[in-house]
Amino acid sequence: MAKKQQSENEDILSLANSLRWELGVDFHDTVIESIYADASRIARKTVRTEGEKPAYNWDFKIDRIVTSRWLGFPIMFLLLAVVFWITVSGANYPSGLLAELLIDTLHPVLKNGATAIGMPWWLSGVLVDGAYLSMAWVIAVMLPPMAIFFPLFTLLEDFGYLPRVAFNMDSLFRRAGAHGKQALTLSMGFGCNAAGVIAARVIDSPRERLIAIITNNFSLCNGRWPTQILIATIFIGGAVPAHWAGLVSAGAVVGIAVLGIFFSLVVSWGLSKSVLRGETSAFSLELPPYRPPRILQTLYTSLIDRTIFVLWRAIVFAIPAGIVIWLVANIHIGDLSLAEHFIRWADPFALFFGLNGVILLAYIIAIPANEIVIPTVLMLTVLSTGMHEMGEGAGVMFELDSIADTENILRAGGWTLLTGLNLMLFSLLHNPCSTTIYTIYKETHSAKWTLVATLLPIVLGLIVCFFTAQLWLLFFSTAEAVG
Amino acid sequence: MILNIHPGLSILAGILVVAVLAWAFWPKNGLFALIDRLRMNSRRVLLEDALKYLFDCEYKNIDCGLHSIAGNLNISADQATKLLDRLRAMGLISMKDQSFQLTDSGKSYALRVIRVHRIWERYLADETGIDQMEWHGAADRKEHRMSAEAADALAAQIGNPVFDPHGDPIPSAQGELPEHKGRPLSSLEEGAIARIVHIEDEPHTIYEQLVALGLYPGMQVYVLDVTNGKITFAADGEECVLTALFAASITVEELPEQEPLSTKATLLSTLKIGESAEIVGISPHCRGQQRRRLMDLGIVPGTPVTAELRSASGDPTGYRIMGATIGIRKSQADFIFIEKKEKHADEQPA
Amino acid sequence: MNSQHDCENCPVHHRENLIRLGIAMDRVDYVVALAGNPNTGKSTVFNNLTGLRQHTGNWPGKTVTRAEGGYSYGEKRYKVVDLPGTYSLLSTSTDEETARDFILFGRPDVTVIVADATRLERNLNLVLQVLEITDRAVLCLNLMDEAQRNHIEIDERNLSAELGIPVIPAAARQKEGMPELIAAIGEVASGRYVCQPHRLKSRSPKLNHAVSTLAEKLAAQFPGLPNLNWVALRLLEGDQSIIDAVRTGELGKLSTGILSPQS
Repeated sequence: MAKKQQSENEDILSLANSLRWELGVDFHDTVIESIYADASRIARKTVRTEGEKPAYNWDFKIDRIVTSRWLGFPIMFLLLAVVFWITVSGANYPSGLLAELLIDTLHPVLKNGATAIGMPWWLSGVLVDGAYLSMAWVIAVMLPPMAIFFPLFTLLEDFGYLPRVAFNMDSLFRRAGAHGKQALTLSMGFGCNAAGVIAARVIDSPRERLIAIITNNFSLCNGRWPTQILIATIFIGGAVPAHWAGLVSAGAVVGIAVLGIFFSLVVSWGLSKSVLRGETSAFSLELPPYRPPRILQTLYTSLIDRTIFVLWRAIVFAIPAGIVIWLVANIHIGDLSLAEHFIRWADPFALFFGLNGVILLAYIIAIPANEIVIPTVLMLTVLSTGMHEMGEGAGVMFELDSIADTENILRAGGWTLLTGLNLMLFSLLHNPCSTTIYTIYKETHSAKWTLVATLLPIVLGLIVCFFTAQLWLLFFSTAEAVG
Repeated sequence: MILNIHPGLSILAGILVVAVLAWAFWPKNGLFALIDRLRMNSRRVLLEDALKYLFDCEYKNIDCGLHSIAGNLNISADQATKLLDRLRAMGLISMKDQSFQLTDSGKSYALRVIRVHRIWERYLADETGIDQMEWHGAADRKEHRMSAEAADALAAQIGNPVFDPHGDPIPSAQGELPEHKGRPLSSLEEGAIARIVHIEDEPHTIYEQLVALGLYPGMQVYVLDVTNGKITFAADGEECVLTALFAASITVEELPEQEPLSTKATLLSTLKIGESAEIVGISPHCRGQQRRRLMDLGIVPGTPVTAELRSASGDPTGYRIMGATIGIRKSQADFIFIEKKEKHADEQPA
Repeated sequence: MNSQHDCENCPVHHRENLIRLGIAMDRVDYVVALAGNPNTGKSTVFNNLTGLRQHTGNWPGKTVTRAEGGYSYGEKRYKVVDLPGTYSLLSTSTDEETARDFILFGRPDVTVIVADATRLERNLNLVLQVLEITDRAVLCLNLMDEAQRNHIEIDERNLSAELGIPVIPAAARQKEGMPELIAAIGEVASGRYVCQPHRLKSRSPKLNHAVSTLAEKLAAQFPGLPNLNWVALRLLEGDQSIIDAVRTGELGKLSTGILSPQS
């Protein structure tokens, strides 16, 4: 009985196949056309439009301005610049407050508490100096900018402006073999790459979505801005006359961000010409009517859906990394800690790329969040140079209020203008943070593409740093640059 | 120390390393691509190509001798004899009065290879936008390495197509294939109206020129004149002249009662901002997902469309279609045919 | 504001009757699927019904994973499943597959189609496609406020007669029309309102022949299937999930349960 039924089922399928061969190629068109024919008949019977359309005209007027040849791009850059400016300047104060609470106040309290209850030094080191402190750093540095950036971005999205950005930017991305909506994932990436990767869902073609995901890391995320600003202020700003310092260092940071966009487009182009070949498949973009965003709901949802979501993932990765950071600085083999061994071993290799061993180690162990790279660099520099009067001790990340003090530590660690420049480049061009890597895996379900997205930027970064360093050495005196 | 190397030298070395890396990963002629190609078992390729060719001969009722096989596979007659001996030993072909015939297992093997080939061509046509000149070559390589299961999975993903982009039927997973139908274009008489059902993609040089003429399966042809072995016909309203040799590469299906299409439509991309028109259709070159997406957005014959705004960078244009503004790239608007309306027809009352 | 007040006295609105259940759905009586084009306020309707706050941007396909929520009304518990916003149900994209398969195989008791009243013709494309699959649907004509501002008038009664399903005008952002929508869902779910969905007729003779040949075969093999022509058409389109359902005989299960509410 079941056998018979099964063969009858197969008969139906083979009948369907032969009918399809008879029908020929394009009957799908007939189906859709007949649906639309019915739809338009029903609509004609039931819908009546009277007079002019004020709301539509209003939309139309806004669209005329934001997509105009002369004003379209200036408006876009202005709006995005305002969003970044509010983010960067607005995050300073709450970040400081959080750092004061979590790092300056709570950390010593916990440390003392651990000692008071008789916890062995290594355990309190792992838990308080390692796990707790890295979590505290991530929260203090990551939360405020995200809590500002995401709602602002979501407001623009809800208002309906972002589709217009994609509309304006599309021709640029089309030439790179990508989708116009990549403009959005790219700008979202300036907030957080993990969020940018998730945002790539709006691109329906799998090929273009993959391109957007892989290249998102070239958007300089919130976590990297402070590094860029600090290093630019110390090394780039320090290399020019004082009254130019501010302008030049700001220009350098913006230059790095623009370089990121450049790489994003070039790599998109390269991918679409090689492994992800094939022209853009189905570009269509609805420009929805403008709607006033609901501020409160936007605040709530962008906080829950994006900020907390991303922050949580970052914390989950930061805790084990904090433990690792503490351990490499405190486990000794012979006279030296693991960290020092690595730094000495990697130094010559790293100097070849215009970096140093401390930077390489910092980027390896601070993989959970770009936010903890600078504290780790400072801690490792102090450790490896033996400036024990500075800092908080082995394995304890720290930052200094005074830029001058930071500069002293870095210069003592052998940093030069070249090191600073290359750190800025490497900060732009290195593997995504672990949160982003994990998110890429979640979104693509592919270990292969996750690996590509992880390794591609490092390879590029090493190449760029190498040529920068060698050209530098070629044009400027060797002795001065290496120091 | 490596730091003592002169920077000029190390820059050269760096350029070398980058060049080697780039070469290694280069998609078409790179090291990995080369290794990949070498790994392909050439004996198997030859065997499968022979089966495919024999099947094609049987399907089209052409006699295939040893020499035509050797010629088609680009091998010597000697090698062809050895190859056929091997096929016979494997039980894939049998001899019947001097000609070769596929056995059942030979036939189903050939159908599997053909199925993979045609599915892959269809996939390339529908989903990638890779140039149509490359479909056949790519599918020729793919057919030898893609498993039947992988082909089935791909087919399921793109809606189990039953025709490849040249109009050939794709064998089903169970090995069914419809009867060969249609006749060569060269056999049509003056005044005949027919639809192209297939354009043979081999030999490549002929196919290239037919494609360059803009011919495609599904196109309507109207034979205007047949003289001196040359056939003149109107294809979608445009006049073409082909020699008999070229015309033989095109298979058509006669359409007894139909009016010849004559008007060549205007393209949507020519619509100026503020102008309105009515959609007439979408070009058959716009396939697969891309075509469906456009239709889903309301681009079907009869729909009014107004060009509303141009992107700041000039390319996508926003078209007002059924109450929504849809951004469409110029490359896609080139696929959409319209008919411009009288100026006053769609103006709003002042 | 004003109309919201008015509705407190509407006969259908029993405030104490509506309890938003959020995601607490241990025991449900009816399953409601929410379909619609992108940008029609589908998520706002979803949030209004369930009390959840799902965010979806102004993009197609933002709802990539299915969102679920629930409410209780008139002693019955409803589970609402928010399907991805799509323009159509005929393509092979993941979004459309998810929506299509849920409406067919998930056998929702009611499918609510949220349509933009300012662009009804465009939205009817999806509405007609949904009506091909299921015979229990409600059309929620959202954004009526915008339509009014644009001087668009819609003859709801005529529309309801044409489509054969209840048509509820609404303005979800102002929470207008929600009580009526909830009541209509209840009517259709309980079987008090029997839908007579519009089915497509005008096709080419060649295609009609193919569809009816196949539908005949299907009717013999899977008696009682409510949407024969649509299943036949999907087979002709090479829809893998329908092919699998025919092959395994799973399709037969759809014919039994669909006429009586899910227990």
